[in-house]
Amino acid sequence: MNANKTGSRWQGLHLEPLWWGLFSAGGVCFAVFIPAVVLIFGIMAPLGIIDISYQQVRGYYASIWGLMFTGAVICLPAFHAAHRIRHGLHDVKLGGGLVSIIICYGLAATLSATTLAAWYLLR
Amino acid sequence: MSYKPTLTRTWWLKHRFFMLYMLREGTVLPLVFLLCSLSAGAFALQSVEQFASWQRFMANPWVVAIHTVALIAALYHAFTFFKLFPRVMPIRVGTKLVPPAIMVVGQWLAVVAVITVFLWLFVFSGAAHGIVAGPGGGV
Amino acid sequence: MAANKGMQQALVRVKRYLPEEQQKTQSEPFWQEFTVPFDESTSVLDALNFIKEELDPSLSFRWSCRMAICGSCGFMLNGIPKLGCKEFLRNYSVRTSPAQKNTATNTSITASLTVEPLAHFTVERDLIVNMDEFLIHLEAVKPYLIAETSTQKQLQPSLQTPAQLAKYKQFANCINCGLCYSACPQFCLNPEFLGPAAIALAQRYNLDSRDTGKAVRMPMLNSHNGVWSCTFVGFCSDVCPKQVDPAAAVNQGKVESAKSMLIQMFKGSTAHEL
Repeated sequence: MNANKTGSRWQGLHLEPLWWGLFSAGGVCFAVFIPAVVLIFGIMAPLGIIDISYQQVRGYYASIWGLMFTGAVICLPAFHAAHRIRHGLHDVKLGGGLVSIIICYGLAATLSATTLAAWYLLR
Repeated sequence: MSYKPTLTRTWWLKHRFFMLYMLREGTVLPLVFLLCSLSAGAFALQSVEQFASWQRFMANPWVVAIHTVALIAALYHAFTFFKLFPRVMPIRVGTKLVPPAIMVVGQWLAVVAVITVFLWLFVFSGAAHGIVAGPGGGV
Repeated sequence: MAANKGMQQALVRVKRYLPEEQQKTQSEPFWQEFTVPFDESTSVLDALNFIKEELDPSLSFRWSCRMAICGSCGFMLNGIPKLGCKEFLRNYSVRTSPAQKNTATNTSITASLTVEPLAHFTVERDLIVNMDEFLIHLEAVKPYLIAETSTQKQLQPSLQTPAQLAKYKQFANCINCGLCYSACPQFCLNPEFLGPAAIALAQRYNLDSRDTGKAVRMPMLNSHNGVWSCTFVGFCSDVCPKQVDPAAAVNQGKVESAKSMLIQMFKGSTAHEL
C-alpha cells in the first residue's frame, strides 16, 4: 500500500461513484416527484377523481417538459431502484457482484432508453 | 480456538431497526412497477386507442392497489431520505450547522409544491383550456 | 457488593465459551444464568463483576474505566451493542410472573437481560472478542495527524479557528469501542469492509485543517471495501455511545471519494492535493 502513493490515472477507479450519484439523484426524484405523479396518474385519474384527456397529456409530454419528466420520473428513479435492488441482493446473500450489477443497471438503462425513445417518437 | 457466528439470510428479520431498513430498501419494488406502467403510458401516447387501453390497464383494481402501495412507499422513502440528506450534506454557516429540522421541512415543502403544480396542471387548468403555458410555481 | 436487603434481583443470562475446558466434550458456546442483586445504581458491568467475584470466577470479560471513555466493555445486551458501564439493570425491568419466581430464595426477579459477546467478531472466550478485526482497519486509515514535515513548518504553531474545529469535532469523539462494527451488517457480510469507526476517523483527520494526509487516505476510502460497501443502514450511529454519527461520516466520505476519483481521472494521477 505504500508503494502506490503516485498511481496512474485509472488506478483504483471504478463505477461506484457513478451508480451512487444516479442513486442519490434518483432518490431525490423518487421522494419529491413520484408522490405527485403516482397520485395523479396511478390513483386519481384511474378512479375518475380527475379527468385526463389524451390531447392534454400528449400536448404536455411531447414538449421539452416531457423530456424532463422522463429524466426525473423514469430514468433517475430507475437507477435508484436498480442500486437498491443490487445492494439488497447482497444483503440477502443472493448476489450483489458483477452479474447483479449488469442485470440491475442494465435493466434500468433499458427502461430509460425505451422511454426516451417513446418521447422522441412523439416529436 | 474460537468461534464466529455468521449472518443468516434472514438477519434483517431479527431486529426492528433492520426490518425498517429492509422496508426502506423495499420501497423500490412498487416503484419499479410504477415506472413500467408510466413507460407503457409514454408509448401509449402514440394513438388515442392505445391511450384508452392504457387507461383501462391503469384502472384495473389490482393496478390501482399496487400504485397506492407505491404512493405509500414513496412517502416512506421520502420520510427516510429527507432525514438522511442533512447528515450526508451538512450545511454550515460559520461554526453553526443549519438545523436538520429546517432542511427536512424544506424538502417536504418541495413535495407539497410539486403535488400542487401537478394538480393545477391537470385539475384546475388542464381539462378546460387544453394546453396551458408552463407551470406557474417555480419548482 | 453484598446482597443487601432492599435490593432487587436480576436474572442475567450470559453467553459463555470456554474452549480449553470443554475440549474433552464439546467446544460450543452455551448459556449460563445468574441471579444478581441490583439497585438503581447497578450497571451491567457491576453485575458482571458481581458474578465474577461472588458466583463464578471463570467468567471472562474486558473492562477498565467504568465511565464510558475507555471503550473496553462493549457487549450485546438483549441483542443490541452497548457499553456495559453505561447501561443500568434498572432499564431491563420485567413484570414478575409466577414462573420467574425464584422458589429457592422466595425472591422475585424484577429485571432480566442477556449478555453476549460483541456480534460480527470472532469470539475468543466468554465475552472476549478479537478486536484486531476492527483495529487492523483502524490502523489502515492512518488515524493521526499527518502534518508538514519541514522543520520550519514544525516550529510554527498550528492555529485553528472555531469554524475549522467545528468541521471535524463530532467525529473526534470516537473511543474505538467497536459497537458500530457489531451494529453493521455490511461488516459481517464483508469483513474486509473498513467499517464505520475507521472511516469516521479517516474523515475526522481529512477534515482537520492541520492535516495533510488526505491523499494517502483516499485510495483506501475509494476502494470497494472503503466507503462504497456502506448502504446507510444507520444502526452504527444509533448504537454509538459518543454520538459520533459514523453513518454520516461514511456517507460524507462517499461525496469526498467521488470528488477524489473525478480529480484523479482528470489530473491523471493519484498524487494530488485535495
